[in-house]
Amino acid sequence: MTDTVLTKKQRQKRTRTRNLIIIAVVLALLAILPQVTSDYITYVAVLAIIYAILTGSYDLTTGYTGPLTFCHGAFYGIGAYASALLTLKAGFPFWVAFPLSGIMVFIFAAIIGYPGLRLQGHYFAVTTFFFGHFIYLVILNSVSLTNGPMGLRNIPPPEGFLGITFTSLNSSYYLIFIFGVIAVAFLYFLVNSGIGKILISIRENEELSQAIGVNTALYKVLAFSIGAGIAGLAGSLFAHFFRLLHPTTFAWMTSEMVVIMALVGGLGTLIGPIIGAGIVTLILELMRFAPEFRFIIWSVALIAVLIIEPRGLMGLVRRIQGGKK
Amino acid sequence: MFLQQLINGIIIGASYALIALGLNLIWSITDIPDFSQGGIYVITAYVAYFAVKLAGFPFVLSLLLAMVVGAAMAFCIERFLYRRFTGHGRIQLLCAIALFFLLSNLAILFWTAKTKIFPSYLPGGLTLFGLMVSYQRIVVLVVALALFVAVYLFIMRTKIGKAIRAASQDREAAEVVGINISTVNSAVFMIGGALSATAAILISPLYSVFPTMGDLPLLKSLVVVILGGFGSVAGVLIGGLGLGIVESLGGVYISAAYQHGFTFFVLILVLLFFPKGLFGRV
Repeated sequence: MTDTVLTKKQRQKRTRTRNLIIIAVVLALLAILPQVTSDYITYVAVLAIIYAILTGSYDLTTGYTGPLTFCHGAFYGIGAYASALLTLKAGFPFWVAFPLSGIMVFIFAAIIGYPGLRLQGHYFAVTTFFFGHFIYLVILNSVSLTNGPMGLRNIPPPEGFLGITFTSLNSSYYLIFIFGVIAVAFLYFLVNSGIGKILISIRENEELSQAIGVNTALYKVLAFSIGAGIAGLAGSLFAHFFRLLHPTTFAWMTSEMVVIMALVGGLGTLIGPIIGAGIVTLILELMRFAPEFRFIIWSVALIAVLIIEPRGLMGLVRRIQGGKK
Repeated sequence: MFLQQLINGIIIGASYALIALGLNLIWSITDIPDFSQGGIYVITAYVAYFAVKLAGFPFVLSLLLAMVVGAAMAFCIERFLYRRFTGHGRIQLLCAIALFFLLSNLAILFWTAKTKIFPSYLPGGLTLFGLMVSYQRIVVLVVALALFVAVYLFIMRTKIGKAIRAASQDREAAEVVGINISTVNSAVFMIGGALSATAAILISPLYSVFPTMGDLPLLKSLVVVILGGFGSVAGVLIGGLGLGIVESLGGVYISAAYQHGFTFFVLILVLLFFPKGLFGRV
């Protein structure tokens, strides 16, 4: 008995070391990326990092806590527009607008989530779908504020400090890279903390979780709002990096894209959705020549993932490793 | 102006109610909010358009053809996809949404995003209270009401209808007493597909055919299902007409840009105060 426990511990330790090495290698590769590749690949990497933050935050809400939502693209959009408008119209510096946009989306999501998350069954999922479309309509139609279908231009880049400016591609790449690492680390520690365990208990059995004294309503709203807030921050990064915004970027296709990225990687694993974000971004870029096929292939891919392995890549990995849970 | 908008609202509301009736049956029996109906709506509209335009079918025949195609699509989707995932509600929902995107994007791929004008099949109109209402609009209302009565009678009077009612009340118990759930599932999906197709074909001559035509009707009818509550045919009809009227009047008197946003407000308000829908049983 002790033997098996020991080997299990050893095995865990070995996996952990292996994972740490993989993470270190990936981080190192990302760190030298702009030095060794073309500008185009750096752009793609920026997009992948932003999508990784977005999908990782989605995993907090849907993967760890349970409720299926379809409005992550909307939170992303609110964050992007809030941050862009705060700098463009109110004259705030990026360093103020960035956290403010996250906080605004957090509050917004709490307002939606408080009544919404009480709903049973698929009601909430359908409501979020509608909410996502509603936000798109607001962005599209509030022409005086968001410039409507013409989009926003000339969004200022983040202000430099200590002699570093963020006008060049490489320096802003590093800024987004650092934010990405911070966001993922934050999510990692959150889902592995006591709060994370409570969230998982809600996902596994909400009634039981309630029975042992967890305020499930509060934690659900909290997870939903934190996930949304981080999506808002990702939106802000997007706005100030690409410096132009268009409503269609935040139409419901974005929400669907987030869902696909998370599912391809494997919901509820955090690392899975991040890998999924990378893979889907890459496919997206490879398919730039045929945009009309994009959503078709995504949808087919989503159905294929559901049929083959609903737990995504991480589920496949586990299955290959010998059916261990 | 008011009367005109009221009538517009009733007509568009009747089409929402038609889709919602199928969605309601499907949702209450299989627990799937069947987003793929939005895709069936688009594809069948194109089928009818080409039947009229290329093959020269009369309108009624192309409507029937579209209903058959819609029923067949819904049947296949249930039989070959949703049934695989029985017991996994989240996967079914994700699959439904993927199908919706797939079908409407296939329409873009095959027939481009360009709007196609559905030929008018019944010129002229009726003058009501000094207001001209085209026959095509009246047909929407009449057919919708007729189908509501037909579905109601089907559910109340036939053997399959009885099985559907039993399954919607308690799936397991229905299975225990020997009701064939897979027949019930196929039946409700085929009804749903045919109703979505009907709604699409009735509305196409008024608003033309384009790949994203299914988006808003789908969302609106899902809201109607939530408003009307499960298993209530009257609730669906009232919810659909009510939503159509609110949207139509709101678009004129409050803000045209947010016409489609009102539905969201109505939904949030209802869910806040009646979390189980207005006429809800479940």
